Amino acid sequence: MKNKNNTLNKRVKLALLTAAMGMAGHSAFAADGNTITTVVKISGIPWFDRMETGVELYAKQHPEMNISQVGPATADSAQQLQIIQDLIAKGTDALAVVPMDPTILEALLKRAMARGTIVVTHEADNQINTMVDVEAFDNTDYGTALNERLADCMGGAGKWTTFVGSLGSRTHLQWVGAGEKNAMKYPGMKLVDPNNESFDDANGTYKKAKEILRKHPDIKGFQTSAGNDVLGVGRAIEEAGLAGKVCLVGTGLPNPSAAYLDSGAITAIGFWDPQKAGMAMNEVARILLKGGQIEDGMNLGVEGYEHVSVRPGAGDGKLLVGNGMVLVDKETYKEHLF
Amino acid sequence: MKRDANLWVLCTLIIVLFGFGGVVSGGTYLSLFNLQSMAMQVPEIGLLAIGVMLAMCAGNGGIDLSGIANANLSGVASGIFTLSLFDASQDPMLFTIAFAAGCVVIGLLGGIFNGVIISRFGITPILGTLGTQMLFTGVAVVLSDGRSVTVGSPDPLYVIGNGLVFGIPTSFIIFILIGCLLGVILKYTPYGMRLMLTGANPKAAVYSGFPSGRIIITTYAISGLLAGIAGIIIAARNINVKWDYGSSYLLVAILIAVMAGVRPEGGYGRIITVILSAVVLQLLSSLLNFIGLSNFVRDLAWGVLLLCFLGVGRFDLINRILASLTSMRSPHVTK
Repeated sequence: MKNKNNTLNKRVKLALLTAAMGMAGHSAFAADGNTITTVVKISGIPWFDRMETGVELYAKQHPEMNISQVGPATADSAQQLQIIQDLIAKGTDALAVVPMDPTILEALLKRAMARGTIVVTHEADNQINTMVDVEAFDNTDYGTALNERLADCMGGAGKWTTFVGSLGSRTHLQWVGAGEKNAMKYPGMKLVDPNNESFDDANGTYKKAKEILRKHPDIKGFQTSAGNDVLGVGRAIEEAGLAGKVCLVGTGLPNPSAAYLDSGAITAIGFWDPQKAGMAMNEVARILLKGGQIEDGMNLGVEGYEHVSVRPGAGDGKLLVGNGMVLVDKETYKEHLF
Repeated sequence: MKRDANLWVLCTLIIVLFGFGGVVSGGTYLSLFNLQSMAMQVPEIGLLAIGVMLAMCAGNGGIDLSGIANANLSGVASGIFTLSLFDASQDPMLFTIAFAAGCVVIGLLGGIFNGVIISRFGITPILGTLGTQMLFTGVAVVLSDGRSVTVGSPDPLYVIGNGLVFGIPTSFIIFILIGCLLGVILKYTPYGMRLMLTGANPKAAVYSGFPSGRIIITTYAISGLLAGIAGIIIAARNINVKWDYGSSYLLVAILIAVMAGVRPEGGYGRIITVILSAVVLQLLSSLLNFIGLSNFVRDLAWGVLLLCFLGVGRFDLINRILASLTSMRSPHVTK
């Protein structure tokens, strides 16, 4: 038992040592002004795996930079906080952060900037302590675009309704709000029972959508917001045999939605591509590292960020808004499978 | 001579980690800034771990799962309360004192509540504190509407979270002072002795006429008090407090206690090893971030560590290995 333990100990140590040496070879700890680390909310989920492909692509395009992506294994803002704190201490030159909870990171990001670290954020237009917050699109434009697609499918007439993740979700309300406003262009469109809460739960949404289909047998359209809403409503539409007859446009991801898009239960889905957002964040960080300025109308060289609009952010920083909205249907979703 | 195996292992680990980190990072790991940065991260989790340790020492399956929930509730409730009463910009000192006092009181009340349901109603600690964990979290959600509460950074509070005294983070000094104080209490006061004896053999303690109910309530109250102080430090560091902060701390706090050689069956535990164990975990955690390993490796490492140290405690491995090595007169003493 003793011997076993000793050999085991040695083996483990050897393995660890080799691993660490290998790592040390790859990762430069240098503070020579070219390290950009992207910190995501959680690693290992499809959304941020997709973002990582963008970060890797960007790293390939810029071999002189030291670019990588990390993130906590569990969805805990304290974990993300620790990772960022260690990265600052390590001397990372620029951080591209997708905050789990912007408020928890405020103090730390402030200290990071005070120490000269470049800070870029994403999905956090209320972040005060950031230099540039990158948003894929303007929320009003997005809501309008979703609704325009819906109106197009509905022929500009008929009953329609909306789903939001929850009534506390600011962006979702902005999307459906813009949608309602757009629908006013079409006098034939009649909004019924708006702002159903889905809580991003496909099953709950499915039940609610079935109720709505029963209550309004003549309903023609759904505009949904949270990522799983299209799946729930799509299932309800398909089971009612209404695929292709009732229109459904909402936020969703191509892979999970593929079957419903093919069957016609989902008319179109909208989203932004985290791959492009990851690249855009890194590009902004690189420009700032080189001492450049972020200006209105500039081209980041990333699809959807060729002509960005820049306005004052929540704090002293800037809010950069791209036109990275993607709207795909049965014909086009295959170009964006993730 | 009886050695404290865990103390040895932990000290060795600290030296090894410092050496290893220094080499791998080319010195950055040992820079003053990183040492301060790591020291700043230890206190909140360290205080919670001491709370877990005390609960474990009380025996009878003692554990405190409500630590981080209690800390968050303290910060959230005291924050809302203090913000409504005082203006931080007008009188930052008064604001800080009121906020800190609020945290301590709420944490203490939470702890007493734990102690009462465990000792008076005879509920198993793991279930009782699991219940209060959800209760505290729930109350914090309701009080704050699920949003984060901005405590702000009035000067004295900012110093607690981010200030340095002689280059050492204030929060770390507070943590060490509390550790020393509790260490003395456990070692030299009747309460400390009774706590350990109750944990070692509850039945004998009852027959010896120990007020075991009061001992248990006191123990969980101290654990709650520590959670309240952790709440102050969290708020001071982050400006904002939120109900779901640190959901991963729960298991890490238990890991720290087990690594420190606290006996899960009760009756034994030392503050010094808990502090060292918290430091080891921080060093390792930061090192993994420095190397840039995936954070899934961290979970793996924690699990392996937990099992290893449980094994060390269970089979007294270190003493055996050391003994065999000395008898063989082997020159290299492995950990």
